[in-house]
Amino acid sequence: MYKEPAKPHTLTNFTTALDQLRSSVLRMSSLAQLNLKNSIKGLMERDDDWCNNCIADDEEIDLLEMQIDHEGIEVMSRFHPFASDLREVISSIKIGANIERVADQAVNIARRARKLNEQPPLTELHLLDNPIRLSLQMFDDAVRAFAERNASLAVELKARDKELDRMNKELADVLVNRMQDDSVNLPTYLNLIFISRCLERIGDHACNVAEDVVFAVNAEDIRHLAK
Amino acid sequence: MRTADTPTSQNSLSEHCLELTDDFTSGEVNFIKVEDFKFFYGKKQALHGINLEIPSRKVTAFIGPSGCGKSTLLRNFNRMNELIPGVRHEGDISIHGTSIYDPSVEIIALRRRIGMVFQKSNPFPMSIYENIVYPLRIAGQKDRSVLDETVERCLRSAALWDEAKDRLHESALGLSGGQMQRLCIARAVASRPEILLMDEPCSALDPIATAKVEELITELKKDFTIIIVTHNMQQASRVSELTAFFYLGNLVEFDSTHKIFTNPAQKQTEDYITGRFG
Repeated sequence: MYKEPAKPHTLTNFTTALDQLRSSVLRMSSLAQLNLKNSIKGLMERDDDWCNNCIADDEEIDLLEMQIDHEGIEVMSRFHPFASDLREVISSIKIGANIERVADQAVNIARRARKLNEQPPLTELHLLDNPIRLSLQMFDDAVRAFAERNASLAVELKARDKELDRMNKELADVLVNRMQDDSVNLPTYLNLIFISRCLERIGDHACNVAEDVVFAVNAEDIRHLAK
Repeated sequence: MRTADTPTSQNSLSEHCLELTDDFTSGEVNFIKVEDFKFFYGKKQALHGINLEIPSRKVTAFIGPSGCGKSTLLRNFNRMNELIPGVRHEGDISIHGTSIYDPSVEIIALRRRIGMVFQKSNPFPMSIYENIVYPLRIAGQKDRSVLDETVERCLRSAALWDEAKDRLHESALGLSGGQMQRLCIARAVASRPEILLMDEPCSALDPIATAKVEELITELKKDFTIIIVTHNMQQASRVSELTAFFYLGNLVEFDSTHKIFTNPAQKQTEDYITGRFG
């Protein structure tokens, strides 16, 4: 389902301010997507440069989070939004916070990746392939759901998050067993478990973004619904 | 969601209001009942088949663009519109189960049950004291202690006692705009009406005076059923529990103020409250 953006307000400044807020969220999302991809490149290609880029670029995302809060508060104080406008502002601020946490998880992955790059490569790294693919896809879809005001796509993400949780748990079980047999590489296994946990958290944040999209578009609160 | 096409059922409104206040059941769900009400100024139809049930001891806001019929409906509750030549109506309005158009209903008695406050404060050119007791005097009350008690009670309920108690016998025209409006509210409640109609009561007041009147509205709803017409959306969302949106003489949507201002069911309502109208 795709919802057409609402027609402009009589007060053009109001439309401009809302557009600016939306544009900031989209810009922040793009940067977070890029940072996440950089951290994964640093991990899979064992290249510290990608990791360093990700860590350095996180500051811009932090600033954008504050900018989104500021713009949201500005819209509320100047234009007193109601209904869909109010939901859009509230959701944008909450989505900004979740994107910032995704970017933090990307930084965590990059830091872990730098540590892994100091150790000899292990084939177990590829146990992360599926969780990486799924978590990146979930975050991309959450951003797309926001950009397109697509509540149906957002609702789908919840089911995929369960799959990601399952992958994370299975991977942790496998790596704990390997640690018992191969204690020399214990720090590496631990770092892989931590990275898997970061990917699982990214899935959670993608779901949070999706829930806010559903609230903004359909005025429905789908948080904490019975599983 | 309730619209003009889907008249409110007692149950749905009751359920709805239970969300708003715990003591809702102490009120009367359909205290004021408007049934297929049409109103005409000469040949021009101003209201088209309005169906509406207003609960007692709640604040109900009427919103909508100019000319949508909200003030016309308000002025029908106390049959004030009948002062205008050439008007006529169809349908019915009942209060407490009795039609206001029933031949047994005396207009003066009806208006005593329904106080009204207007956009522009209209104190009489007499003292503060005499303004308040005026409705009692015309009803024949002469007992000084009753009059004194009424003045204090009404000024206190209008949050004006502290400001006016030392100048009760000075001209009401010396009060500030906000004080004059609160005096008019005090006068409106002097005859102990059941309903208080307010037609844009704060549109000529500054924000502080507006806040005082809004605070007063919140206090008064414990004793009165209040219907307020306002163009100020923030005011409607602050003071009312139920909101009705009118457009071109139709009731487009009537629901809890929370629902109307966060997720209205009708696109016209959404466009109006978000400023995308016209």
